Amino acid sequence: MRFKYHFTTAYKGLKTNKSRSALTVLGIVIGIASIILVVSIGRGAENLILNEVSSLGAETIVVRPGKQPSGPSDFTETLFSESLIQRDLDALLKKANAPHIVEIMPAVAIPGSVSYEGETYRPSILGGDGDFFARTFNIFPEYGDVFSEDDIRNRASVAIIGSKVKEELFGGSDAVGNFIKIKDRKFRVVGVFPKRGQVAFFNMDSLVLIPYSTAQTYLLGISHFQELIVKADSPDNVARTVYDIEVTLREAHDITDPENDDFYVETQQGLVDQIKVIIGALTAMLSAIVAVALVVAGVGLMNIVLVSVTERTKEIGLRKALGATERDILLQFLIEAVMLTFIGGVIGVLIGALFGFLISLAITTFAGLSWTFTFPVSAALLGVGVSVVVGLVFGVYPARIAAKKSPIEALRYE
Amino acid sequence: MSLIQVTGLEKTYYGDRDLETKVLHGVDFSINKGEFVAIMGPSGSGKSTLLHMLGFLDEPTGGNYFFEDKDSLAYAKEEVAYLRNKKMGFVFQSFNLLARTSVFENVKLPLLYSDVPESGWAERAHVAIHAVGLKHREDHEPSQLSGGEKQRVAIARALVNNPEVIFADEPTGNLDSKSGQAVMDILQRLHEKEGHTVILITHETYTAEHAERIIHILDGKIKSDDKVANRKRATTFIK
Repeated sequence: MRFKYHFTTAYKGLKTNKSRSALTVLGIVIGIASIILVVSIGRGAENLILNEVSSLGAETIVVRPGKQPSGPSDFTETLFSESLIQRDLDALLKKANAPHIVEIMPAVAIPGSVSYEGETYRPSILGGDGDFFARTFNIFPEYGDVFSEDDIRNRASVAIIGSKVKEELFGGSDAVGNFIKIKDRKFRVVGVFPKRGQVAFFNMDSLVLIPYSTAQTYLLGISHFQELIVKADSPDNVARTVYDIEVTLREAHDITDPENDDFYVETQQGLVDQIKVIIGALTAMLSAIVAVALVVAGVGLMNIVLVSVTERTKEIGLRKALGATERDILLQFLIEAVMLTFIGGVIGVLIGALFGFLISLAITTFAGLSWTFTFPVSAALLGVGVSVVVGLVFGVYPARIAAKKSPIEALRYE
Repeated sequence: MSLIQVTGLEKTYYGDRDLETKVLHGVDFSINKGEFVAIMGPSGSGKSTLLHMLGFLDEPTGGNYFFEDKDSLAYAKEEVAYLRNKKMGFVFQSFNLLARTSVFENVKLPLLYSDVPESGWAERAHVAIHAVGLKHREDHEPSQLSGGEKQRVAIARALVNNPEVIFADEPTGNLDSKSGQAVMDILQRLHEKEGHTVILITHETYTAEHAERIIHILDGKIKSDDKVANRKRATTFIK
């Protein structure tokens, strides 16, 4: 029998039992829609995070003291390691050592709160370089200005505060020129950042930025850095610069075996890769759960095709009496099953994409995030492919039962 | 050369708990090409079982059946499907038409499984439907037809691949006498004008006497096998 007629026969079979076909396919529809939804949300989250991260700039490199953490317990080593000091900073700034480094911002974090005339707030306090910070994150004070190189050199007690900090401490009145207290030391407010929310690792609104030198000497009493944020001259030179940094610091620290490194270097690309791995793993896990749902849907399909085979026993007998081979009958029921799941897959993709779009719309509208909806083409193709496979796998058994029926027993069936 | 030859043909059904029912106890006969034979007997005599085996719808449990001088057991599955499709046409007592499917599509059904080129399908179906006088009913569905018309559709379907032999299992059993006459008229004309071999199963002597020869079966054995002396002629209904 010509292949085309297997399709028309199967199509007629499905049309005869419209509502049953629709119910059978519902499981597949839900399964595939879930896959599309999970993947589309995963993509959206990935894009969102990657955008945040890359706002730091691809040419940014971060050097941290201690060993590269390979588990949660290793972080303590990083926090307490004192291996990165002013001497390292000077060495890295020598063009002969690392020609592609443009500038470096040392950074330290200060635990504690700030107060002004009885009002107290717990911001994130960062010791850094005002000018570098503003340019790197593209955020410039709304009022006042950033502190200068001189302020860093002189260990001046100056601070730039975020919009939320300003509001908590000063309310509606001016902040610039007034003195806030950090750990009993007075800092003059020189600038106020505009409201910006989360940028890269920092919530700009609840940030207090002071010169790193001041923080080291007067607030923390340490001489090392917790982070060196390095800018290379172009993203293309990042790999080269990472190498330069490693060689320079090993020399400075008298390290011959990279195994003994007391610092580690992170690049944006490395971070991006890590995030991709995490989101990929999450998506895979959720998809695995959905796959189980698809198997359940497949069993349901098998059951219904089996019912249909039993119901149409007489028709099978007649077709065999009229010259249908076992292969003809097998194909008829198999194509029916695959057609069902294929249609279910396509509908599932459409519904999944629709919900993905609605969710992205809701997130942008209500959460104010720059969430982008992407139609996951590969997941859509995979989804339809998987549903066809489900139809094949779970259709074969009942189709074989149909094909093997003895014509006379089938004809006699009442 | 005979078209059909059976020697010592037996059929036993095996039910639950070693329950054996022997339906045919060694049957011998042969039918030549172009014969019109009625196999007659009361219900339970084994005549339907015999027809099913002749039509390759069932397998014997003993003896031999030669179709076109080849042992039935020597035909492969695909060859059997081909025989049913091209060499045999079946007419059942209960019509067995596909519901919600037009007369035209029902008659066309065997062509779907045949090697006839698709371009010739419509023409063949039209000719077969015309031959049973249902030209005006082509687009009707079985539920809109009378019993006699349904059986004529079934005959058209059996004819469409121009088979060697037509097996008719109680074709008039569910019909009133007038419709039954029409069916018998068609079968007689197919036999005489087109030269088809017709094998008819019936329990009525009157119907059987439309054939040239009657094989009388009783309790799974042949009781008699005679030429019909006073052959009945069905009234012509269809021009």
